[in-house]
Amino acid sequence: MADRRRINGPPGATMAPVFEDDAGQPEIKNGKGRDRAPNVIRKTFLKTGVTPSASGSAYLEFEGSSKSGVSGLKLSCTVHGPRSLPRSSPFSPHIVLSAHVKYAPFATKQRRGYLRDPSERDLGTHLETALRGAIIADRWPKSGVDIIISIIEGDQDRETSKSQGDETWDMMNVLSGCITVASAALADAGIDCVDTVAGGVAALVQDAGEDSTPRIVVDPIPSDHEKVLGACCVAYLPTRDEVTNLWFKGDLPAADAGLYTQLVENGIQASRTANRVLVECLGEATS
Amino acid sequence: MATASPAPSGPQPSLTFTRPVFAKLSPHPYLLRTLSPDSPDQQPTRNNGRAPHQSRPIQINTSSLSQAHGSSLVRTGDTTVICGVRGELLPVTAIPQFRPHNGTLYDQDEGDEARARKELKDYDLLVPNIELATGCAPQFLPGVPPTTLAQTVSTRVFSLLHGAGVVDGRGLRVWFTPESKKEAGDMEVEGEEEREEQKPQVVAYWVLYIDLLFVSFDGNPFDAAWAAVLAALKDTKLPMARWDPDREMVICRKGQDTRLNVRGLPVACSAAVFLEKEHGEVGRGERNRHWILLDPDRSEEELCKEVVTVVVDCSDGGETRVRSIEKQGGTVIGRELIRGFVGVAEGRWREVKEAMGN
Repeated sequence: MADRRRINGPPGATMAPVFEDDAGQPEIKNGKGRDRAPNVIRKTFLKTGVTPSASGSAYLEFEGSSKSGVSGLKLSCTVHGPRSLPRSSPFSPHIVLSAHVKYAPFATKQRRGYLRDPSERDLGTHLETALRGAIIADRWPKSGVDIIISIIEGDQDRETSKSQGDETWDMMNVLSGCITVASAALADAGIDCVDTVAGGVAALVQDAGEDSTPRIVVDPIPSDHEKVLGACCVAYLPTRDEVTNLWFKGDLPAADAGLYTQLVENGIQASRTANRVLVECLGEATS
Repeated sequence: MATASPAPSGPQPSLTFTRPVFAKLSPHPYLLRTLSPDSPDQQPTRNNGRAPHQSRPIQINTSSLSQAHGSSLVRTGDTTVICGVRGELLPVTAIPQFRPHNGTLYDQDEGDEARARKELKDYDLLVPNIELATGCAPQFLPGVPPTTLAQTVSTRVFSLLHGAGVVDGRGLRVWFTPESKKEAGDMEVEGEEEREEQKPQVVAYWVLYIDLLFVSFDGNPFDAAWAAVLAALKDTKLPMARWDPDREMVICRKGQDTRLNVRGLPVACSAAVFLEKEHGEVGRGERNRHWILLDPDRSEEELCKEVVTVVVDCSDGGETRVRSIEKQGGTVIGRELIRGFVGVAEGRWREVKEAMGN
């Protein structure tokens, strides 16, 4: 049964346009690869107070790749609360967080529906975990706060038309952006936190070419590399030196435990850089 | 703050409120006071500092999204809306009620235009949807089905898109001219039929998904949404599409985009009616004074029941055409007021046209 509360369009299934050069032949990764140093994240734009009617809000944008057609990530976050919980909810001695992440229908190559899909719920859960470690939750008993993130544009390569399983890696970048933007919005809303939490991503990638060995880069764009072997997204509190959320995905040789720690170290490094942007943005907003 | 400054001498009223606090505590009397100043040389103003007939300046950016075929960002005051238009293909085989028409690719007559317009509606080729549940205001939180307001605005945009005939449906057709097969044996027998087949035919349509996302909400959603839809449609470029008979599907080619033909520039202009007596409890012989507040913001919309929206288009050689008039919720606005309001809408049209930059 179609959703009667929305305009659904034609009953027949519509197809996204198919371009002639994807026919059959193997996908060629066009253009040059990554042009940043392995330990440098993309330029980030962060601004608070984009939604005046919300308690707190922030907007984050990652610069797109130098390659044409690769969009940067654009996120808008609003925070509502702290406010009293509805009467029906049970007593809570601390603040109840609810994080909601939603892609705009036009954010990705495939048109997204209006209902949340499992990957968006997954992002919401991770975001909630990352923030829960930063908020001083005991200050607001019996209250709740809503954190809502709209992904206006996900970073995906528009030119490579076939999906290469990049979505799973894209989610890492999206999550790190979500953590940073939500942290800025929480600060804008005046909700007490022990520290500003920021997200960082590090990945083990393999570049095109025969004799390339896997290397670790931060803030990867999957389409820049031949293959992403593993990635980890870290939410990190710099002054406390604590990790509030760690999400690791991929396929790493179990024998090399050092590689895993190295990946996390690099993720923390990326998070520190993002945190500097965050602190600078908040400083500008208050001055 | 004013509350925490004890006066140095003499008993002072211990509790004074700032203006925003008053505006929040009793919004109706507060707005009434600012609209009817005591001295005649003071101009009536609204809480937001605007004059009653002053609208918020509009800013329009286009082509900021790369995944959509056309996009726009519209900002009027604190209302910010993003619109993305995405084209998807609908093969005619997927349209149950499809009737092949006998027009040709090169038909430019009036009848074809009307037919294209009917196709737009019959096959549902325009799909506008408005998402308010992005936390853009405290009352719009996600996780719930679309609110009544979101549904209403979606439907109004939908009907205005069809009613004003903004999109030229001919640009959404994908044509295919079958090649004549030159097979020696069948030549004579099927010669008659083959000539028939060579006529170009429509094999698919573009469906335009028009998605609107409110980033920030501060009243007057329809005007902002409509401006965003129009700017995004004007920005839309669809890739060149052709039918591939071997694969039996539509194939697009990169780098050969055609701009969507958008006719006219209808601009929506809304106003709310603010009554002196909030619930209309007027005595006999008394008149309930009213003010018409152009481009109401969120706090004003809560106080006003009657809203009027006029859609005008002055792009047709300087002559003003009224595309739609909608009015609900009260009895103040009559024929005369609407006529005057069209003049106000013309002013708004010029502002929006300038913001669109064409």
